[in-house]
Amino acid sequence: MADASLAAIAHPARTDMKTPEPVRTRQPLASRRYALEIRQHMAWRWQALVLAIALLVGLAISAAILVAAGVPADELANEFVMQTFLDGQNFRAVLFQAAPMILVGLAGAIAFRARFWNLGLEGQMVWGAIGATAVSMWQIGPENLRLPLMLVAAIGCGLLWVLGPAWLKLKLGVNEIISTLMLNYMAANFLLHLVYGSWKDPKDNFPYSPQFRAFERLPELGAGVGSAILLAGIVALLAWWLVGVSRVGLYLRFVDANPRVAHANGVPVRRTIYGAVLLSGAMAGLAGFAVAAGQEGRLTQAFYQGYGFSGILIAFLARNNPLAATVVALLVAALFVTGRSLQVFYQVPFSMVQLIQAVIVVCVASSDFFIRHRIRRLGADSAEAA
Amino acid sequence: MDAGVLLNWLANTPDFAVPYALAALGLIICERAGVLSLGAEGLMLVGALVGIGAQITLGQPAVSLVLAMLAASLVSMLFAVMVIWLRVNQVIAGLALVFFCQGLTALVGSLAEWTNHATGGIGTLALWPLSSLPGVGRLFEQNAMVWLTLPIFGAVAWFFARTATGLRLRAVGENPQAADAAGIRVAAWRFVAVLAGSALVGLAGAYISVVSTKLWIAGMTGGRGWIAVGLVIFARWSPWKALIGALLFGCIEALIPQLAAAGVQLPQYFVMMTPYAVTLGVMVWVALGKKRSGDDEPGALGQPYVREERR
Repeated sequence: MADASLAAIAHPARTDMKTPEPVRTRQPLASRRYALEIRQHMAWRWQALVLAIALLVGLAISAAILVAAGVPADELANEFVMQTFLDGQNFRAVLFQAAPMILVGLAGAIAFRARFWNLGLEGQMVWGAIGATAVSMWQIGPENLRLPLMLVAAIGCGLLWVLGPAWLKLKLGVNEIISTLMLNYMAANFLLHLVYGSWKDPKDNFPYSPQFRAFERLPELGAGVGSAILLAGIVALLAWWLVGVSRVGLYLRFVDANPRVAHANGVPVRRTIYGAVLLSGAMAGLAGFAVAAGQEGRLTQAFYQGYGFSGILIAFLARNNPLAATVVALLVAALFVTGRSLQVFYQVPFSMVQLIQAVIVVCVASSDFFIRHRIRRLGADSAEAA
Repeated sequence: MDAGVLLNWLANTPDFAVPYALAALGLIICERAGVLSLGAEGLMLVGALVGIGAQITLGQPAVSLVLAMLAASLVSMLFAVMVIWLRVNQVIAGLALVFFCQGLTALVGSLAEWTNHATGGIGTLALWPLSSLPGVGRLFEQNAMVWLTLPIFGAVAWFFARTATGLRLRAVGENPQAADAAGIRVAAWRFVAVLAGSALVGLAGAYISVVSTKLWIAGMTGGRGWIAVGLVIFARWSPWKALIGALLFGCIEALIPQLAAAGVQLPQYFVMMTPYAVTLGVMVWVALGKKRSGDDEPGALGQPYVREERR
């Protein structure tokens, strides 16, 4: 952590001291006339401005890609804003899509708060859906308890699927990025094993499980809005309370800032990390439940695709803040819905959605540079010194 | 298992091992310079797509492979600018790169209609005196890229171990402060390392599409880039160990079709899990052994170098 005065001398000092000429020529062109300083603090409205510019740049690039892919430029605003948010049916589709999206976003945010790169959100989602489907397949529990049991099974399965990487990381120091990703591929293959094998619906020839019975599906709240979004909202509020209000949230901030100092101050570092990571797995499992019981009504072969990345993106853009994650998740859900309609109307491949998300992440991540650094021209200063 | 199956298995191993080997080698170059390159999966896809695209339009395998390398380098410049100049967290930047490339390649592949478009591969090259040996001779009939991989490994290993430039590159990854003080331009070296390493990763991807499968399917690398990231940890950032690890993974992947051909009944999807399960197992094994063998991870791996920051 350099203070401003120390940082300021870094570059000019090099050129201004009584240095022989060759050193001056070794200086790269960019640093000869500009100095980079580390900014200690930036007023929040400037931060918001930088973020807004980054988002605008990202959206502009995305729009350019869409136009290049064959969407008429004058239709873009119509498709993205009017059709998605102002049309009642499409807005319901956004809410429908948003429930699992919010849950994976929260799952990412909670794990990243504990400095654990849980990239296994998709695997945990798959297991959540498998757990819920198992309860339905084996008809465990009476009818009125079936749905809660499915929910518990989904939470349990998601949680268990992340327990391995968490333990390996904390006990042996195994890189969780690789371990969680490998478990994604394994979970996906296991899902295929089930839906092409013993769990395949005997009624027809598609790779999915038999349809859930009516009491095994998340009920509608009315007006075509499913209760999955309510579930996601409740989980978001709980996550906000946990992170922002409770003692665990304080511990998490401590662990995130400096695990060793946290440990020295009596914070239960390992238990906090375990708790956060397992909670993350549980939420991802719940997202799997939300898709299986809230959208598809059965276990399908590729329902999880795209959620893992979106969860990470949502957590990153929301700075791991649960309430912000909810808002970002809604926007990402809107992007998904729009992407599907673009696919139908303009034959734009759905991978466009992923590309747009990636472009926005790149822009926002890069914009951080301008929040953390200040670029100062050296023109006047160095002329004076010389 | 009779000798014929065993021989078939061994003869097919290099074909499966080459993508892992080249990708891991490219990652070693990046990571030795201190840049944690998680984007391998994406760059392999870029290499695979550009390779097949060039193969469909030009039909010259050598040109396709070179173009794929250039394309992967070009895309990795985005990553290099992010992590070296803009000092973005390398994990975030790497993930963003993977997702960017996945989206981009799937989009371009389907817009250009290159999906499932079969092309001709490259011919085999028999290593003459050895290939005429009775029985084991066919182990030495491999495609040209397999043979080319060996000198590439030799060159990189020699570069790191024996040249002053290699030493500089390692210094940048080990202790950028000291390297900077010694007059080595950290950012420039890292930039070059990312571009060079990514070219090899792109070549690995192009090998899969142009030489092995001879067609393009979106997302066809199927996690091999991530396995290569794990492989580098397994190899403790040493090129030759990475080659051994790649052969191990090649063995496992080559075994699957052999078992199926020999009529062994296995649950298909569990078999398809094995490369991932083995990666996980290898990571655990490395972690268990780390306490004994000491740590040879590049000292500044994953850390952006900020000259202005007080340490």
